[in-house]
Parts: sequence; structure tokens; C-alpha cells
Amino acid sequence: MPAYIQGRNVNLTFRPLNRAPVRALSNFDIDVQEGEFLSIVGPSGCGKSTFLNILLGLIKPDSGELLMHGRKISGPGTDRAMVFQEFGLLPWRTVTNNIELGLELKKLPAAQRAAIAERLVSLVGLTGFESHYPHELSGGMKQRVGLARALATNPDVLLMDEPFAALDAQTRDLMQVELLRIWREARKTVLFVTHQIDEAIYLSDRVMVMSKRPGRAKKIFAIDLPRPREYEMRVTPEFNGLKLEIWNTLKDEIAI
Amino acid sequence: MAAETSPQRSFALRHRNFLLGAVAVVLFFAAWQAIFLIVPFDPLFISKPSLIAAGFVDLIESGDLIHDLAVSAVPFFVGLIAAVIIGVPLGIVMGWRVRVGYALDPLMTVFYASPLVALAPLLVIFFGVGVTGKAIIVFSLAVFPFIFNVCAGVRTTDRLLINVVRSLGGGERDLYLKVLFPSVLPYIVAGARIAVGRALIGVLVGEFFAASEGIGYAISRFGDIFAIDRMFGCILTVMAIAVVLTEGIRWAERAAFPWRTGQ
Repeated sequence: MPAYIQGRNVNLTFRPLNRAPVRALSNFDIDVQEGEFLSIVGPSGCGKSTFLNILLGLIKPDSGELLMHGRKISGPGTDRAMVFQEFGLLPWRTVTNNIELGLELKKLPAAQRAAIAERLVSLVGLTGFESHYPHELSGGMKQRVGLARALATNPDVLLMDEPFAALDAQTRDLMQVELLRIWREARKTVLFVTHQIDEAIYLSDRVMVMSKRPGRAKKIFAIDLPRPREYEMRVTPEFNGLKLEIWNTLKDEIAI
Repeated sequence: MAAETSPQRSFALRHRNFLLGAVAVVLFFAAWQAIFLIVPFDPLFISKPSLIAAGFVDLIESGDLIHDLAVSAVPFFVGLIAAVIIGVPLGIVMGWRVRVGYALDPLMTVFYASPLVALAPLLVIFFGVGVTGKAIIVFSLAVFPFIFNVCAGVRTTDRLLINVVRSLGGGERDLYLKVLFPSVLPYIVAGARIAVGRALIGVLVGEFFAASEGIGYAISRFGDIFAIDRMFGCILTVMAIAVVLTEGIRWAERAAFPWRTGQ
């Protein structure tokens, strides 16, 4: 059976005005199974975020094939939604209205929007903050809104571009636990880009290590740790073994 | 604790900014009044606060001032509202559609920099001595702060928010309504603060050239008949209105954009 998301020979070169062109992705291949949690780690600037933006439909690749459910991806669609690193909340909208954004764009009636928003507010644990503005929320709460907004349109695939990178370490740990809980309930295919190997292992079914720019898939690790995953799992020998293996694959690609 | 033991001082502290401004205004008029005790100015050409106050009371009692203000208010608000209706969308499009921006920017800058006031007589000839001519003078002065501010506002709009709306399936129309317009609201208000001053000048200039009533006409008529006290009464009234409008906009800005209080 073909993979749910299938990328073959995806190439992309950025051509900024008055600058040398930058090759972001070179013959990038990827296969993602339905319902899978796949993380992508790689050195800074290797094109991992670029790939998510291509998958989201915001950037068109120069060549190659990118299929979802057997259909070519040619632009944004409600079957995919992104959770952004810098949250991307509209500052003039309350929590509820931010969550309803995608539903509004889909022209859903107000009553239906409100019902969905209410359910998601409770799913991401923001009950009581419905009418707060983003500037009144902590970083972790902002990203809960970002996650709820992405889930609101009920996409099949959730794209997460270093969603917890702007959070402090403790909030980040908590959000990882929360994400696994929400993922269990919402049952989505997740593509998760991160710099943290711990985070990738803890969350994922598989972890892809990307090469330095121009990015391609270097190696894929299956994470056969049992679910549901407890926080204590992070100190087991199995976990640390995987961490070391992934680090050894990744470190050759990192240049400072 | 300090607040309980000395409430008077806390009042002064709380309103410190306002009080400092008020003291400066009072001192200014006191000094103006006082200088007449030393220098014997010719009262034909310059007046002093006590006489201006008397003239002002006169104007209020006769009802002339209120009438003139009401007459001037019509082209002022018509021109200003037209400036918002035309200037804001034009500024948003110029900021968002880069080619439109490059195409129109030089033209707009030329108009903005040109002495439009000098064209006032022509506008009066084209559009007559009624409300239309004056409203067009007001419009042509007040529209540019909106265009330029809003255009600059669009260019500082967070690209991420554009991507968010696009990724959720939003089209061009959604970008205008759900991202660009709300994000330039504070720039519209900033533009309005400048536009109000220019619009007042527009009304006065329009009425200097061709009018039989209105506050600008009153100022020029009192000047012509050397009724300096009443002329200054009118000028100070216009100044007070400018201050009230500008401060009103500032207050509305704080009240209207609750999401900005954290910034």
C-alpha cells in the first residue's frame, strides 16, 4: 500500500534578489504512514521547515512529486494545518476567535464554529481563558491556542514547525506530554520538525535525520518504545541508546 | 500606604502629566497679559487675554461663534470622512500590492509635498463657494496622512499572520479583511491625529477665500475690521478644538484597541 504522504525527488532552490541562489532541498524523499507521528531533525537551515511549507502548500517545489492520499499537493487545503513556532495568533482576536479563524474561512455558521471552539478550548486546557487576548497569555498557552486553531478545521495531517522552540524548558516538557494526550484523542498524522533529539524520540513513531543543506533524508530511525509514553521513559537505557545513535548520525551534518 | 495618608498628593501624582501641561498654558496667558504692563503695544494690532476673553464672551452671547462653528463643521467632517474612506483602502492597496505602491508613490509624494493651499482659489472656482469646494480642500489636505500611514502599516504587517490565513484556505479578500485592515487600525488613528490638524487648516483656508459665514470667514472678517480681540477669540477656539480632537483620538485609541495595551 502506498504511503499516506509520498515525496519523491523534491527539489527547491531559493533565488533571492541580488544574492546567490540557495539550494534548500535536493532530491528529498519521504514516506509518511496514516496516523503516524514522524519527527524530522536536522541541522539549522537544512530545509526541514521549508519542506513543511511545501507540504502546507505555501511554497511550490521546483521539481519532484508530492502526493497526499494519492493526490498531488498544489496549494493550501483544509486537509492539512500548521502549528507555527512563533504561534501566529492574530493579536486583535480573543482565544475563541483565533481558534475559529479557519472555520470562518471555511464559511461555517457561527453556532457550529462556537461549538467546535468550545470543545477545542477544553481539549487544549484553556477553559476560562476564552475571551483573553494573546498578549494576556503565557507562551505555553499561546501555543495551546495555535494547536487548537490547527485542529479546529479537523485536518488529516498536522504539521508542526518547531512548535515548542519558543517555550522555556519546563513548559516545553509539559507541552510534549499534552501533545501526546491530544494526539491520542484527535488521532492525526503528525509531521513534527524539531532541533531536540529528546523531543523527537519521546513523541515519535519514527525520526528522520536530514543532511545539511541541500537537505535530503539521511536516515530514518524507528522508535519502538511502548505507548502511552511516560515521562520516566526518558531516562531508560533504550531511550538513551536511541538518543546516542541519532546524535551520531546528526553530528557529522552540523557545522558551526 | 502613601495614598491613604496624603490623598491630595496622590491626586497630583496621578494627574501629573495633565497638570504640567495645564500649568504651562496658564503661565503662557499670564505672561501674555503681564507683558502689556511693561510694553505699550498698540491695541489695534495685538490684543491681550483679558480683552480676548471679553470678546469671546460677546461672541458666545450673540450666538455668532456657535453658528460659525456649526457652518464650518460640515465641510470639515465631510472632507475628513471622505479622506478616511478613500485614503485607508488606497493606502492598504499601495502597501500590499507592491507594483501599485511603486506606481503611485511618486505621484502621491508630489501631491503631498505641493502647496495644496495655494490651489484653494482654483478649487473654489471649480467647485463653488458652497460646502463642496471647502470639503474638497479639506479632503486634499487630510487624505495623505491616511494614505502614507496605512501604507507604512501594511508593510510592517507580520508576514506570519499572512501565511496563517493563507494556510487555512484564506484568499486575497480574507487577507485584506482579516489581517491587513485590523493590523493597520493603529496606523489609521496615527494618521487621523495628523489629518485633523490639516483638515482644520483646510476649512480655514477655504473660508478665507470664499465664504459668507463659518469660523474662517469670521477670523478674516474680524481681522479686516481690526476687531483683534474677537479675531483672537476665534483663533483660540479653533486651537482648543484642535487639542480636544487630537486628545479625543488618543483616548479613543486606548479604548478601541484592547489588544495593544500589552505592547
